[in-house]
Amino acid sequence: MMRKVLFAATLGFVLVFFIVPLTVLVISSFHTGKGFGLSNYVEFFRDGVSRKAFFRSLYMGGTVMLTALLISYPSAMAINSIRKPGVKSFVMALAVLPLMTNPVARTFSWLAVIGREGLINNVLAWMGFGRIKILYTETAVFLGLLQLFTPLMLLSLVSAFENLDEEIVLAAQSLGAGKIATFFKVQLPLTRDGAVMGSLLVFAGATSAYVTPAILGGSRVLMLSTLLYQKAMVVLDWNMAITIAVVMITLTMLVNVLVRISLGRVGT
Amino acid sequence: MRRVLTALVLGVAAFALAASNVVIVSTWGFNLDLLNKNISDPFFKEYGIRIVRELGNNSDRLTKLIMRKDKPYVDVVHFADYYAALAKEKGLLQPIDVKKLKNYDQLYDFAKDPIGDHYGIAYAVFNYAIVYRTDKVKEPIKSWKDLWREDLKGKIALPDITITQGPAFMMLTNKIWGGKEYDPELKIAFEKIAQIKDDVVTFYRRSSELINLFKMGEVWAAPVARFAWGRLLATGLPLKWVEPEEGSLGFLSVVSIVKGAKHLENAYKYIDFLLSKEVQYREAMDLVDSPVNKLVKVPDEVAQKLTYGEDTIKKLIFYDVNFIVKHRDEWIAKWNEIMGR
Repeated sequence: MMRKVLFAATLGFVLVFFIVPLTVLVISSFHTGKGFGLSNYVEFFRDGVSRKAFFRSLYMGGTVMLTALLISYPSAMAINSIRKPGVKSFVMALAVLPLMTNPVARTFSWLAVIGREGLINNVLAWMGFGRIKILYTETAVFLGLLQLFTPLMLLSLVSAFENLDEEIVLAAQSLGAGKIATFFKVQLPLTRDGAVMGSLLVFAGATSAYVTPAILGGSRVLMLSTLLYQKAMVVLDWNMAITIAVVMITLTMLVNVLVRISLGRVGT
Repeated sequence: MRRVLTALVLGVAAFALAASNVVIVSTWGFNLDLLNKNISDPFFKEYGIRIVRELGNNSDRLTKLIMRKDKPYVDVVHFADYYAALAKEKGLLQPIDVKKLKNYDQLYDFAKDPIGDHYGIAYAVFNYAIVYRTDKVKEPIKSWKDLWREDLKGKIALPDITITQGPAFMMLTNKIWGGKEYDPELKIAFEKIAQIKDDVVTFYRRSSELINLFKMGEVWAAPVARFAWGRLLATGLPLKWVEPEEGSLGFLSVVSIVKGAKHLENAYKYIDFLLSKEVQYREAMDLVDSPVNKLVKVPDEVAQKLTYGEDTIKKLIFYDVNFIVKHRDEWIAKWNEIMGR
């Protein structure tokens, strides 16, 4: 009885907060001026600007996701090897700090680092190199998104490593596997779910973030999220805004499948 | 029991009475404490009408008006001039009978009918001119054209076309470089922007963004809205405010009555109150808004942070927002295309 009630509650929650709004969204994306059809999507992919935003978001989300994955694996292993619980939670708190700061303040502080008069350029100039333009380029957006979303990957991986029984690692090593072989044959496959979850969160986050690309990229680096904002809030073209939203959701789901398949092969 | 019931009935009656004596105003969520002090409290004292505010930015509130078009909840709406014109075009407003407003004749002419057919009245103005660093920029800036100067390359910021000041800035650009301001294609302006886009630090979307760029030394000169001037001065940088020889751009905050407003009489009282020299003076002294009532006199130190004074007012340039409403979406599309190149 209890189980049925809980199940119904869960189902109701998912229905009300997820399935119904999503269905409405998807249906409205086919809603055109004169009825139903694919014309919103045709218009979206025919327009050079939105096509460019689409590929830029895909590329940006993908590179941020992969870089976060590469950075986070060694970090998660290192954090997991900390024995003192106090120290461990302190390091974790430091790692998730960017998620807890105000997005606008956090993004503005990047100006002090990558601006023409910022830290990096001042160091370069001091060493006798010329100044380089980072702010308001794709690189700036990449850095901002990487800083913002790497903690999500790290959290997923740390919990994956926590669930990994250390005796399995010891067993692998006692059977003659070196550190590298142990990592690729044992640890990586067993933390795969964490990696998939982390990748998904990072990709979804990086493609849908608004403040970071808006402030660090400016008008010249339009992404799907900033284009959506423009359509919904500035031009008030809601049909196109909804279409972009559906494109973004579809993109994330496709990447999810792709990540599952490719990571699924690892170590087998 | 009976006593409880009586109290209940009385309570409901009082509530109904209070509810009928309100005016529902859709406006921005800034300076609410000052708005209560300068407008709501004295308005209630004078007329016994409560002001109920619904808050949000321009586009959120416009969206709400559109959604509730058939069953309007809001009586009076405050918008930036562009959004007021958009609301007019979407049939959300009703014309104002200016004969019912005793303070109307005290307004500057530009405030009297900014979006046409008396669908709105301006109650505040701000101008848009150039600010620059006097320690970095050797030759003083005098004209809008100076933003294209060689020595300012890589040191200026300009407005993004999607912000309020963007389209008017483009119309002005079209004009100063030899075209007409009312060119639906803004051909010259887009050429001039394409020409310097890589030398522009950024096309800003928020004044806070611009202030930060000034503070960090990234930007030495930029067109700035008057309401951001006080915050820029607070950075302590050696900055100068210049109203270029061609004049500065003027922007208005507009108040309108929603079509089908339930508290029409109260709405008129509210608007008249808003335009009165007492309210305009109080709002100016607290630096909330610059006055459009000609009778308002403020001391110099306050005037310096407002859009105020005969010289400034005389040289304000206003463009027809209905023209902008008609063409802005095409301009934004063209802008996106040029910026992405």
